[in-house]
Amino acid sequence: MTTRTLAERWYVPAEIRALRGWIPFAALVNLVVAGGETLRGEGDSLRIVVAAVVLFALLRLCLPDGAGAWRRQVARPIALVILILGVYSLVEGQPTPYELWASTWLLVPSALTLYWLSAGLSGTWSAGNGDSRVAELGLGRNRLVAPRLEKLALHTFLIHAIGLVVVPVVWILDVAVSPGNILGGAIGDAFTLDHFRTVLGGENFWVWTRNSVVVAVGTTIVGLLLAIPAGYAFSRYNFSGRKGAMFVFMLIQMFPGIVILVPYFMVMKTLGLLNTSIGLIIAYSVTALPLCVWMLKGFFDAVPRALEEAAVLDGCTQLEVFLRIVLPLSLPAVAITALFSFLTAWNEFLLALVFNTSNDAYTLPVGLSSMIPATGQQWGDFAAASLVVSIPIVVLFVLFQKALIQGLSAGSVKG
Amino acid sequence: MATPGTDRQFAAAGDVADVVVGTAAVGTAVFGTVGVLRSVIRLSVAGLLACAALSGVQAQNPGPIPQVTVDESAQAYRRIHVDVEYEPNEAIAGFEIWYSDTAFVSIDDAELHSVIRVAETENLAREPVGGAFDECWSGGLPLNRDGAGNLVVAPGASNWSCSLSGMVPGVEQWIAVVPTGADGGMLLDTEGLEPVPGRTDVPDERTPPPDTRPVTYALGSVILSAIALLSFLYWRDARRGRSRSRLAHLYVAPALIALATLTFYPILYGMWLAFTNADQTRLGDEAWVGLTNFLTVFASPGLWRVTLFTFVWAISNVVAHVFLGLVLALALNSSGLRGRTFYRTVLLLPWAIPGYISILAWNGMLQPDGLINAVLDTGIDFFAGATSARIVVILVNIWLGVPFMMMMLSGALQALSTDMFEAAEVDGVSRWDQFRFLTFPNLKGTLVPVSLLSFIWTFNSFNTIYLLTRGNPYVAFGEPGATDTLITYVFAVAFEYGRYGVAAAWSVVVFLMLVGFSWVYLQRTRATEAAA
Repeated sequence: MTTRTLAERWYVPAEIRALRGWIPFAALVNLVVAGGETLRGEGDSLRIVVAAVVLFALLRLCLPDGAGAWRRQVARPIALVILILGVYSLVEGQPTPYELWASTWLLVPSALTLYWLSAGLSGTWSAGNGDSRVAELGLGRNRLVAPRLEKLALHTFLIHAIGLVVVPVVWILDVAVSPGNILGGAIGDAFTLDHFRTVLGGENFWVWTRNSVVVAVGTTIVGLLLAIPAGYAFSRYNFSGRKGAMFVFMLIQMFPGIVILVPYFMVMKTLGLLNTSIGLIIAYSVTALPLCVWMLKGFFDAVPRALEEAAVLDGCTQLEVFLRIVLPLSLPAVAITALFSFLTAWNEFLLALVFNTSNDAYTLPVGLSSMIPATGQQWGDFAAASLVVSIPIVVLFVLFQKALIQGLSAGSVKG
Repeated sequence: MATPGTDRQFAAAGDVADVVVGTAAVGTAVFGTVGVLRSVIRLSVAGLLACAALSGVQAQNPGPIPQVTVDESAQAYRRIHVDVEYEPNEAIAGFEIWYSDTAFVSIDDAELHSVIRVAETENLAREPVGGAFDECWSGGLPLNRDGAGNLVVAPGASNWSCSLSGMVPGVEQWIAVVPTGADGGMLLDTEGLEPVPGRTDVPDERTPPPDTRPVTYALGSVILSAIALLSFLYWRDARRGRSRSRLAHLYVAPALIALATLTFYPILYGMWLAFTNADQTRLGDEAWVGLTNFLTVFASPGLWRVTLFTFVWAISNVVAHVFLGLVLALALNSSGLRGRTFYRTVLLLPWAIPGYISILAWNGMLQPDGLINAVLDTGIDFFAGATSARIVVILVNIWLGVPFMMMMLSGALQALSTDMFEAAEVDGVSRWDQFRFLTFPNLKGTLVPVSLLSFIWTFNSFNTIYLLTRGNPYVAFGEPGATDTLITYVFAVAFEYGRYGVAAAWSVVVFLMLVGFSWVYLQRTRATEAAA
């Protein structure tokens, strides 16, 4: 073998590197498509997709390494076969979004492979003709191309992830504005506001909303009244029993809810608090209490002690220090904790299901799920109600996401 | 909320329908009473059997007429006791008990009460005591039920008796027993019945309000002991001269007392319940029964299946959450990504949307006429088969949980020092090696607690399975369904079957399992960290 320059030894075209990552991913996507075709029982398409998976695997093994031409001579026909399979399935299949997407995952990777193995610097390199001039040019080009290809891959991946996330959302939107009770059907083929009228004009929705608001606001107030002093004490004072109490607060978060579900129910029943908002408020503020205390402790820790000491020197009592200095300073943090307990109470399902047996006491989660019983499901009304309920919540969540996540990770992980 | 027997006894309703369709078909042609309407609904359940049954109805010989007597001495609350005697006959494949509050000659004016099948009883399991509404005996022994929940009497028997439930007190009820043939047709002229009157005079009576004093006393003593503990600690601090923490105990007191009454006390109460016979009818006066409930738990036929599925469910979820969360977090954190905020916000949606809404949305999308089937151009009922239902609930829960993991790991990734990666870049370390030797080892400190937390949450999660399948598909009478996890099954035992004591015993077992698993997991990860 002739001696190779450093550039030659270093050089692998960015395109080939990209293919090394993309082709397995394409195989993976086609494996998913194969699962779909198995469900559909479409023998021909299934055979095509399985063949494509095998061919992609072979293609990955035969990607050129720049040493000789034989790999390119094997890889190019394989890519061509996949391309032909893609064209075939595109022509034969119906033009539904799903089938178009499936054929795209045959066409694009194979076409890119063919192009990059044939043309340009990467083509020359794959043919085994990569001399030092090609390598030097190519290394320069790589600096330009590699980040772009990486971005392309990243965006493709993220767009697929977003597609998976968004599907139920789009579906709810579509069902909410579609007439009747249709679950499938084309997206955006009809428009009506009937479901919103039914839901907002009916009595049930407002009863549930009122219960949810009372419970969530009550939980927030009671929860904060309990959690703020405790969080402050844990943050500032070194008192007997501090360590034990903090450990207990952490341990309780780990406790399975089901263990206390039955006794909780019995206690509420004996106290006559079933089917009341007060029962739920008490239950929620106590179950959310440990996490709230931990979150608040973290926030109070961040308030400098020097301020308090100065206030004490100026003659403030401890209570005044807390109310006039610490509380106003950590107000944003308190707001986040409040939002957190509000959201918890707003979304909670299991306790509300167990404690409430009458429609008048239902909160929104139980009420909305009661619209989907085993028979007589009102999907359209449910979807409309879901939109009305979740849009404000999602907006709140998105606006405060950073702070919420920060507080939550402080409460759950660091603890 | 589901009442006992709606889902889990569905198969039983199907079998009843088989027997009834013959009548329904005849009745539809002639009359239009409420009873017919009821039967027509059944008809649609049973499907095509009606036509087959219709042809055989009138051709049967009138069979031997069962002698029905009402045993007035065996009155019970809302129950009428009937004794039935008949000549054993090979043509009899079962009996139907019809009743009404007026004398009737045609079953079209009556309501079907129960169905009893005639079949071999050798291999049938004993039904759980108190597990069904009607109690029936033959030859002094309780009747067994078949897999679908129907009462079964042996072919050689010549009598049986039943305590029929659901009878209005103080009102005369008319009861007729009609034998049915193998094809489901009636062996009697259904237009000339001679029902027997009977009544129960045990009055409607409110059960006395449960004795709440023990609970009230217990709550009071819990509060008092919490206050006593805090006062003791306060006094100790004061004696040691820690004047600065004077108010601390006062600040902690409300939270601690709330926790003591509404968390510690219920936990202890639950453990006590596990050793008692508490159920829906006995509240407040439950009695100590020792380890009986735990024996019930360990002898229950679905225990190992439901435990196995719970672990499969939790572990597959955690693995997928961590893997996908990590991949997405790495993608979101790659430098110079355009539209990062947009991507992150959209990817957070499964977490931001209230969980029950997205679960129900998936439920709708996975229906046979839902979106998934529309996209695939199929009509698959994903919730019908055990395996497909299990896969579907796991996939939906993965969808729900990834964003939380993504954000946790994203935060941890941002906290890693960038110097390290710059140095690696200069040294020409490949991306994969950077991940393997730099990112991953440094993330371990976050991964271990977060994955354990995710395991515990998934293990304890209830909403996904309850709102998608309620534990169905049905497996066997009285057993957990195919997609039941320990948690949803405990819920069913407690609030669908009303057996609080047994449910509490299940809870204790579940809790011990969880503690055991967490402990082993932490030990193992610590061991690997020490070895590395």
